[in-house]
Amino acid sequence: MTLADRIAAFLAVAEEWARGLFHGLFTHPAYEKIEQEAEDVEDTFMLACFPDAFGIPSPVSYYTAELLPYLEDEFEAWERRMWNRGSLLERKGEQYHF
Amino acid sequence: MREFVFFGGKGGVGKTTVSSAYGFKCAAAGLDTLVVSTDPAHSTSDVFDQQFADEPTPVDGIDNLHAMEIDPDDEVERHLMETKRAMGDQVSPAMVNEIDRQLEMAHQTPGAYEAALFDRFVSVMRDNAYDRVVFDTSPTGGTLRLLSLPEFLEGWIDRLLYKRKKSIDLYEKAAIGNNEPRRIMDGDPIVARLEERKELFEFAGRTLRERAAFFLVVNPDELSLKETSRAVENLVDAGLAVEGLAVNKLTPEPDPDENGRGARFLRDRVATETERLRTLREEFDQPVVAEIETRVSEVKGSLLADVADELDIGVSAEPPA
Repeated sequence: MTLADRIAAFLAVAEEWARGLFHGLFTHPAYEKIEQEAEDVEDTFMLACFPDAFGIPSPVSYYTAELLPYLEDEFEAWERRMWNRGSLLERKGEQYHF
Repeated sequence: MREFVFFGGKGGVGKTTVSSAYGFKCAAAGLDTLVVSTDPAHSTSDVFDQQFADEPTPVDGIDNLHAMEIDPDDEVERHLMETKRAMGDQVSPAMVNEIDRQLEMAHQTPGAYEAALFDRFVSVMRDNAYDRVVFDTSPTGGTLRLLSLPEFLEGWIDRLLYKRKKSIDLYEKAAIGNNEPRRIMDGDPIVARLEERKELFEFAGRTLRERAAFFLVVNPDELSLKETSRAVENLVDAGLAVEGLAVNKLTPEPDPDENGRGARFLRDRVATETERLRTLREEFDQPVVAEIETRVSEVKGSLLADVADELDIGVSAEPPA
């Protein structure tokens, strides 16, 4: 193995590590944050669609009911998040990696 | 006159009588006419002595005239069944019960009845094949609420659409590298549905503003006058065209040589009503288009033609603008 090859191999490893570190430190948490934000927005959407699930009458629940068949996954996930969610502070705090 | 004509007013002032008479008048003038009752307590059947259903039915003995009575319960039921069918196709058996409960709940809320009524009358306007459609509406409060629905619902749907689009957008952004986003905007059935609804509300709002005319039926008494003035205000605020007031149940004047107790009563009554009529003429921007005297018997059959003659509401179709 020539010196050049060894340097190249070392650089490849270093690059992989650097990329992994960058991903783990910055990219991934950022994407996670965006995804959680998306979930939060979806939750408000679901809440606006089905407030009667919480006993709040909605003028459009008759219309939003027809969305239900297409919202299966969302509905299930929404319910799960509603059960699991602690305080808003906890949920929002989770989105920050200190 | 515009394609869709609405008659509204306080409870018991004779909306059904006036709208049936107007329908009769249009039919007699050779227009294909449909009388639609949106009042849950239907009385069109009583005027024509014939049972009507949720579908347009020809009125016996009167050419060109059809009538129908909207039944929101049927519509709610139909909507529920349709949604359940869609659910059967889409949803895994494990989730069916959960969603089913939610569905049933949505169809029992107070708004469901109104929404169904609204849907039905929008579909009547959308599929209209008649020259003239006359709507006999429910008493003032309910009607105004119904007519203000499009604008209100449009705003609501807009908000839902915005939220949905935003969350999908975020999901798309959150998809790392070659990962599949959890939701994608293209062909999202929710956005499609919501947009379809929005279009329907826009159509309803536009049609009510541009192709419909409103008349209010008034009785010459204080309460009716006050309610009418509020109704006119609300309708005008909503951008709807109030074309005139039809005064119903006026007391007939006794002959001048009569002087019994009955005659004196009638004379006093006529005096008060003349006063009210003057108020109507002076204080409202809308013209008084009909003065209909109280009949001794119920207005039906041949009496309808008499009442129709007293209506000074044009029948000729307005050339489309």
